[in-house]
Amino acid sequence: MQATGRLSVSVLGAGLIGMDLATKIMRSDCLDLRLVAGRHDAAELRRAARRGLPVATGGIQSLVDAEEDFDVVFDATNASFHAEHAEKLAASGAMIVDLTPSRVGQMIVPGVNREDIGSHRDISMVTCGGQACVPILHAIARAHEIDCVEVVTTAATLSVGRASRLNLDEYVQTTQDAIRWFTGVEDVKALVNISPARPAATFRVAMYLRGRDLTTDSVRALVTRAADEIRTYVKGFGVSVCTVNDSTAFVSVEVTSSGERLPHYAGNLDIINSAAIQAAECYAAGRLALAGRETA
Amino acid sequence: MSQEAARDAAAGRPVQIHDPTLRDGQHAVRHSLGAEQLRAYLKAADAAAVPVVEVGHGNGLAASSLQVGRARLSDDEMMSIARETLTTSKLGVLMFPGWATTQDIKNALAYEVDLVRIATHCTEASVAERHLGFLRDEGVEAHGILLMTHMASPDQLAEECARLVGYGATGVGILDSSGHFLPSDVTARIGAIRAAVDVPVMFHGHNNLGMAVANSVAAAQAGAGILDACARGFGAGAGNTQLEVLVPVLERLGFRTGIDLYRLLDAADIAGRELMPAPPTIDSVSIVSGLAGVFSGFKKPVLDIAAREGVDPRDVFFELGRRQVVAGQEDLIVEVALALRAARDGGSPAGSGTGSC
Ligand SMILES: NC(=O)c1ccc[n+]([C@@H]2O[C@H](COP(=O)([O-])OP(=O)(O)OC[C@H]3O[C@@H](n4cnc5c(N)ncnc54)[C@H](OP(=O)(O)O)[C@@H]3O)[C@@H](O)[C@H]2O)c1
Repeated sequence: MQATGRLSVSVLGAGLIGMDLATKIMRSDCLDLRLVAGRHDAAELRRAARRGLPVATGGIQSLVDAEEDFDVVFDATNASFHAEHAEKLAASGAMIVDLTPSRVGQMIVPGVNREDIGSHRDISMVTCGGQACVPILHAIARAHEIDCVEVVTTAATLSVGRASRLNLDEYVQTTQDAIRWFTGVEDVKALVNISPARPAATFRVAMYLRGRDLTTDSVRALVTRAADEIRTYVKGFGVSVCTVNDSTAFVSVEVTSSGERLPHYAGNLDIINSAAIQAAECYAAGRLALAGRETA
Repeated sequence: MSQEAARDAAAGRPVQIHDPTLRDGQHAVRHSLGAEQLRAYLKAADAAAVPVVEVGHGNGLAASSLQVGRARLSDDEMMSIARETLTTSKLGVLMFPGWATTQDIKNALAYEVDLVRIATHCTEASVAERHLGFLRDEGVEAHGILLMTHMASPDQLAEECARLVGYGATGVGILDSSGHFLPSDVTARIGAIRAAVDVPVMFHGHNNLGMAVANSVAAAQAGAGILDACARGFGAGAGNTQLEVLVPVLERLGFRTGIDLYRLLDAADIAGRELMPAPPTIDSVSIVSGLAGVFSGFKKPVLDIAAREGVDPRDVFFELGRRQVVAGQEDLIVEVALALRAARDGGSPAGSGTGSC
């Protein structure tokens, strides 16, 4: 931690997720962006350097070799590299926030299990679809007997980078795992569409839940409360449909981006990155409280 | 082109027929085909020497879902029945990245499927990179095929197909998922793709505007080497290119399919009797679906939801088309129907509303 009380932070991976994270970190009061590292001299990195961001091109090695130890490292690369990245950073003691669907660290959805953040060194932000659906599914599954859950995510083509495309299998597996873990429902399916529509389709997540005791009033109340909670850290989160027919609840949500550099349709980038910033800020608050006690 | 000129142009060129009756037809019967139905048709298609027969849920591997309907038989049951029954025809399966995963492909390979088709939306070939690469490494024949292709220009499709070949596809192709094309659209697209790749090019037609056979002929004449067709046109919405019509038409034009006509007609009769309550027809809703450029498989869910919410299914189709929905986005139907109802009733949609619900 720095004298300013801010945590020193780096971002690994300079793609769609990584560059939006960098922008969001710059706006944070308790996170100080010290490095953005890609693995080669990419156009995004050069643009970032022109915006005054500290950049490096040596991938994970740039973080390991850096003169300072980072308090928090965001991994925004590709799920297949995350385990290696985490291992190389273990000695530094950094808290790692994983944006890739690697299924390595503790899964965190701020609206549901914020309290787990402090006790893990590697936390997984699940997936964009997972961040949108888990709080709602969790709320409904706690109040009702749910037999099965299905979640369909649609993201606009321009908001889905190459690493995301290579990670579609992991997206499906990680989203399913998270739904099972957070809701306790076993029969779970996750699907994802990438929409070629122009103008681009707004990020959207549709949920189906089957359960005999579901009622429209109860589901609406639960969804409204969960959505209000998510909106405390993802402003553009909105519920577009919430109905119950034939023992099946159908809830669909849309997320528009409120980030200044993001197009409005890219709610997928906004929701997972906002959740990741929340998690890092929670961690920073915990560290700060601890440091306060130690100096007192 | 005169018939003689057409025959000269075809000059005995072989066209490989790919038959997804038992996969695409599932859309017409809510994915309810049973084991005996599969066996009956597989045997008949095999006897007619149809080169490739595809089985599965309507949307391919692992697609049994609340979103598009749950299948009566599991993927394993369908593939195992097909593997046991086919003796000469090759066995094909279809897979959409994002709906199924590499694990599902591995599972299919355990049934020794001969051909895996990886499907992506028109401009999204890059999501197939990993799965085509996996199949190339496994030494399994793999084709990359593009859906909803009326949404992309000939040049874009050619570029995407070249990408698919780069990932390892040994064949590429386009589906007219909405039955929207006219023959000249097909000619332009197949021509552009042919100029960009040196692997066989496939065309898959839907019959919403009555163009499926004509479009398939246009594709063959533009150089397509693989054509999809289904017995009795069994497929989503208005159905697909009708197999037992397409084959003799191609033969008359001078193409060679290697399929036995009488046995093909027998297979089609069996399909008509065993697989479907009635062959697909071009009803009014299917025409609108084709005009609107919406995936034909939306027909049954649109009719169900429009009836439940008391709105005109044709309005639902045109609004879905305006929003450029793609296959897989069936979840938007409810929202569109509720919005139409609200607009008509002059209120805010019941069960909807941004912010709270
Ligand atoms: N887009 C979304 O909606 C979304 C939402 C939630 C989570 N995610 C996840 O976030 C990750 C990034 O997705 P994205 O859409 O931002 O993809 P992207 O635009 O391709 O970004 C990935 C970036 O990481 C770099 N990279 C890859 N491997 C690296 C390594 N070993 N070391 C350093 N840099 C490396 C890539 O550089 P190269 O140019 O060298 O490949 C690229 O700049 C994926 O795991 C994805 O599943 C994406």
